[in-house]
Amino acid sequence: MATATATIQGVNWIRLRKKVLSRTTCRGIVSLVGFVVLWEICVRLNVPIIGNVPAPSSVLDALGKQLVSPAYWLSWRDSMIRILTGFVAAQIVGIPIGLMLGVNRMARDTIYPIFEIMRPIPPLAWVPASVIFWPTPELSMIFVTFLGAFFTVVLNIVGGAKSIDIRYIRAAHSLGSTRRDIFWRIMLPATMPSIVVGMTVGMGVTWAVVVAAEMIASQSGLGYLTWRSYVAGEYPVIIIGMLSIGVAGYLSSAGIRVLAGRLTPWLKVR
Amino acid sequence: MNASASGMSPRGSISIREVTKIYDPDGAKVLAVDNCSMEIEAGEFCVLVGPSGCGKTTLLNAIAGFHGITTGEIWLDGELLCSGARTPSPGADRIVVFQNGALFPWFTVLENVTFGPVVQGGMSKAEAHDRARTMLGQMGLMGIENNYPSEISSGMRRRVEIARAMMNDPRVLLLDEPFRAMDALTKTVVHQFLLDVYDKSRKTVFFITHDLEEAIFLGSKVYIMTTRPARIKKVLDVDIPRPRDFRALSSATYLRLKQECIEAVHEEALKAFKAGEREMA
Repeated sequence: MATATATIQGVNWIRLRKKVLSRTTCRGIVSLVGFVVLWEICVRLNVPIIGNVPAPSSVLDALGKQLVSPAYWLSWRDSMIRILTGFVAAQIVGIPIGLMLGVNRMARDTIYPIFEIMRPIPPLAWVPASVIFWPTPELSMIFVTFLGAFFTVVLNIVGGAKSIDIRYIRAAHSLGSTRRDIFWRIMLPATMPSIVVGMTVGMGVTWAVVVAAEMIASQSGLGYLTWRSYVAGEYPVIIIGMLSIGVAGYLSSAGIRVLAGRLTPWLKVR
Repeated sequence: MNASASGMSPRGSISIREVTKIYDPDGAKVLAVDNCSMEIEAGEFCVLVGPSGCGKTTLLNAIAGFHGITTGEIWLDGELLCSGARTPSPGADRIVVFQNGALFPWFTVLENVTFGPVVQGGMSKAEAHDRARTMLGQMGLMGIENNYPSEISSGMRRRVEIARAMMNDPRVLLLDEPFRAMDALTKTVVHQFLLDVYDKSRKTVFFITHDLEEAIFLGSKVYIMTTRPARIKKVLDVDIPRPRDFRALSSATYLRLKQECIEAVHEEALKAFKAGEREMA
């Protein structure tokens, strides 16, 4: 009887309830609530340093206003567009270059030294130069974002392509593969895990870069929102900007995880 | 190349004539195989036994076409495969089953098994899948077609890899210590599997191992190799009747051959050990 009622409408309520009310979830919630309450108390008691931070109550208050403000959502949109353009461009350019460098010894010997010199330059150091090179600030910011992901992507793929187990290539040859087959059926899937790692790390770098670039060279976006709130003295909005960037980064990573599952289904198992 | 030809005359005879292989990576010449000759008849189950690192794999790789030899010749069914002057190339008529397994992790079992026919373009995908399903069924490997190699057991993986090789109807099956590092129970299962495949197909098998018991249990002829450089020390004819099963392991013939084998190998193992000590000192 209990099991019959438990699976009304195809939902296993007992399992769902167990999951939602698991000890881990409860502890997490208690910890978060405790953190916020402690923060509020510290601000009210004017504890040194923490007392300068806006209280959760005032952040919540400001959040209500921001959520209904079109300007806030425009910040989201602008940052997202920059991230996606830069990130996707980095994949489109970076994956083929990475594979070529990984597979072709000649290409690696000639092009890799350039990479070795460029790579240690932090993407943000490119901001002034790219503002000069590119016709619009928007393009220069996308370019910097692109750079942030590009080197990560390429270096990961080169590493992955170089470390392909010779057994797979020999087995493929032995089974009658042409060079084309070797590339498409062996090299590419064998490198796919490295491509995915490059994407995951690249996405993280991209957010760090775009936020800083927006603070320096932009009039819009979540980074700009955070910085402008500081300049304007709207301190609760600073916290909202920070939290928004955190949420945006989390959502992007979650998206990459979904994509990764599709690209490397054989790694997902068990 | 097609099945009808194989029905007319047995295929897969290998003739290894005075083969020598010297590795010369950075001036330090290493003699891996020294003047090694053997005649393997079509359909023979030939096993090479020798200490680790003695040059057995070098010989197998030359037959497979992964690298050349320094002098000598290797012939397959009257065709010159490789010689000191001729670098070989791999082909689907000589499929290798590797030491640590080389099923492609990114393909499912079915995609792995049909890899050969699909890249060779001899069969449509549907046709290849049909044939693969039938073959996996005959080999008792049903219900795992859509699993990735990481989802099945190591013994299962090894059997799938042998199935992948057999899909190409090769002239020779080259097995490079395929059952190394497997537990004893799994080993008995894969041994029986390989024997069944051999009994049904009568392909020429070139099997490398350092496990004496495995060599005698599986092989028709056992070649005992010397410590590097590889030379043939002794050849044993294993006259245990086929089809064989685990009962053969307690037969008088088996025990006698094992005794003979142990003595020959022990000498070589000692030499290898002493050579190792010298290198250390």
